[in-house]
Amino acid sequence: MSVVLVGISHRTAPVELREQLAFGDAVLLEALKELVDRETITEGLIISTCNRVEILATTSKHAMDGITQLHEFLERRHGCRPEMFERHFYSFTDLEAIRHVFRVTSSLDSMVVGEPQITGQVKQAFQLAQDARTVGHQLNRLMSRAFAVAKRVRNETGIGLNSVSISFVAVELARRVFDTLKGATVLLVGAGEMAELAARHLNSYGAERILIANRTFERAEEFARELNGRAIPLSEFERNLSEADIVLCSTGAPHFLIRPDHVHQALNARRNRPMLLIDISVPRNIDPAISAFDNVFLFDIDDLENVIASNIQEREREALRAEAIIEGEAERFVASLAEGDLNQVIGAFRREVGLIVQMEFDRSRKRLGELSPEQEQAVHVLLNAVVNKLTLPVIKQLRESEDGHSVLLEAWRDFYHRDK
Amino acid sequence: MDLLLLLALLCYLAGAFYSVIIFSARSEGPDRYLFTIIAAGFVAHTASLAAGWAQLGHFPIVNPKEVISFISWAMLAHFLVIRWRYRARALPTFVIPLVFILTLVSLLLPAPARPISAALEGAIDASQLTQVLFPLHVTLLIFSYAAFIITTIGGVMYLVQEHELKAKTFGAAFYRLPALNTCDEIGSRSLTIGFVLLTLGIITGIIWNNQRDGKFWHNDPKEVLALVTWLAYMLMIHYRLTAGWRGRRIAWLSIAAFVTVLCTWIGARYLPGYHVFG
Repeated sequence: MSVVLVGISHRTAPVELREQLAFGDAVLLEALKELVDRETITEGLIISTCNRVEILATTSKHAMDGITQLHEFLERRHGCRPEMFERHFYSFTDLEAIRHVFRVTSSLDSMVVGEPQITGQVKQAFQLAQDARTVGHQLNRLMSRAFAVAKRVRNETGIGLNSVSISFVAVELARRVFDTLKGATVLLVGAGEMAELAARHLNSYGAERILIANRTFERAEEFARELNGRAIPLSEFERNLSEADIVLCSTGAPHFLIRPDHVHQALNARRNRPMLLIDISVPRNIDPAISAFDNVFLFDIDDLENVIASNIQEREREALRAEAIIEGEAERFVASLAEGDLNQVIGAFRREVGLIVQMEFDRSRKRLGELSPEQEQAVHVLLNAVVNKLTLPVIKQLRESEDGHSVLLEAWRDFYHRDK
Repeated sequence: MDLLLLLALLCYLAGAFYSVIIFSARSEGPDRYLFTIIAAGFVAHTASLAAGWAQLGHFPIVNPKEVISFISWAMLAHFLVIRWRYRARALPTFVIPLVFILTLVSLLLPAPARPISAALEGAIDASQLTQVLFPLHVTLLIFSYAAFIITTIGGVMYLVQEHELKAKTFGAAFYRLPALNTCDEIGSRSLTIGFVLLTLGIITGIIWNNQRDGKFWHNDPKEVLALVTWLAYMLMIHYRLTAGWRGRRIAWLSIAAFVTVLCTWIGARYLPGYHVFG
């Protein structure tokens, strides 16, 4: 038995090609069935997201044969040509395939390392394959291990801890100032796309009151309805500044909209309760001089980008630790597979020898005449002893053979799996 | 050797290590075992104090050994109450090692040959009322000191976190310390509690004074310093309530005010005066 994997990802192929090779939900079930209907492919799983297409399978033959089968499968379904396999596809077998599955599931192979969606997407793909009954014992084991590894990586490393998008950094900053965002008021000055996204995130973290000031009032009203907020005219936003715990500024105005005197007044009115101001507009709309005030925390777009850059670095450092975890897990998993494999072969071998002896005994049974229960018992003990004596040296040698993967094991496996 | 106190000390040691580990690992690790360990230490410590009281036959806060043990116990009590409200993971990392050190010091200090000084003994035995007033006076004050220690810790955490936010370089502390508002609240709640206790402690002291010799005030250094401390905290609360002072300014003030606590508590021992015991 071998585990094989063939795939493309954002690292190896442009988006046009990935689109072309994606398996839509509509065809996935049928594709899975076609996959496991192929000769020697025993189990199969297809992960298809916008960043990758991975085909994972187990084969009853040698690994290379499995790869060929997967290539043929892709050729039939998508018309992939041999040179494409060389240029854009990667193919892994056994340890490498298992490591790759662990890395993908743990989000180490993602475009943004540590992004959490991929684990869910792999889970979905696995669920689908389970529903289609194209995964069996081997892939079930592999995938449940992969999810456990992903969890371990998430718990033991900081790979997913630091925000790497502007809107999440905004949430993170707000939580460092206010702890809980429940009851916090957010003021949007300018309802640009990025500000909207950040407002949505803040809202989902508990900030319920959202005030929106925008040049076109209708746009503000529209967004206000959506988030259950309140639209205010842009010319009057200063009056609402004192209510705002968090201010998100993103207008196209070429000058400072929020000046020190505004903030000073607002602070007085709100009795110095802290304010977080985030200025994502270029040119800036908030006078950087307000940074000097106590209880005021101002971040402009460069500050946020710096945070993101250092967070990405931090994630990459953590990713190294994650790689070490995955390496260990993959090796252990392969070892346990080999062991399972070995036990299977040994079991088959013992059963086979036992059956032969039993058959021979049954054939000679009549000629033995009547046996007393004690005699019957004695014969069985004798036969058992013969089976044990015969099989023991072979089993011993198999167990001692290095990593259970020797030529010997291959030979016995071929011999006893011949007809299956 | 006080075995119960030793047991408490071991719990605090384990708790101190545990809290540092939790602090250094950024991912949200479970801290429920931490609570169990600390609570076990707290129970042992409580038992040790109770046993001391029963054994000695006098209220066990009359010499430095006992006072230090009691204040670490009071700090822990205060922490356990606060923890119930603010599950700030960084707080135990500051509190528990300090509790451990204080308990260790108490355990290592030699027990005085005369556990209770003659002067104090005379003062306590003066009347039935002073027998109640003295323990009350000391307990209230020590609890207020414990609360002020927590206030100071809140202030320090605030200043570090504020520095991180202002400097925009998010280091290790940024992700581990509580949010600014939480630091501020831990500080202000403890401040209020500490101030009420301090006020009551001073009042009981004055009544005790009066019971003994009919004088409310002796111009004793400790009395004067206590008044300064009380004024410092009073002003902090006053400005917080009326002028809306908060954040950095209050954090610095809480550190400054704590210096007056230290002067009152320890400094006064080295000045001649009426408060010779304590």
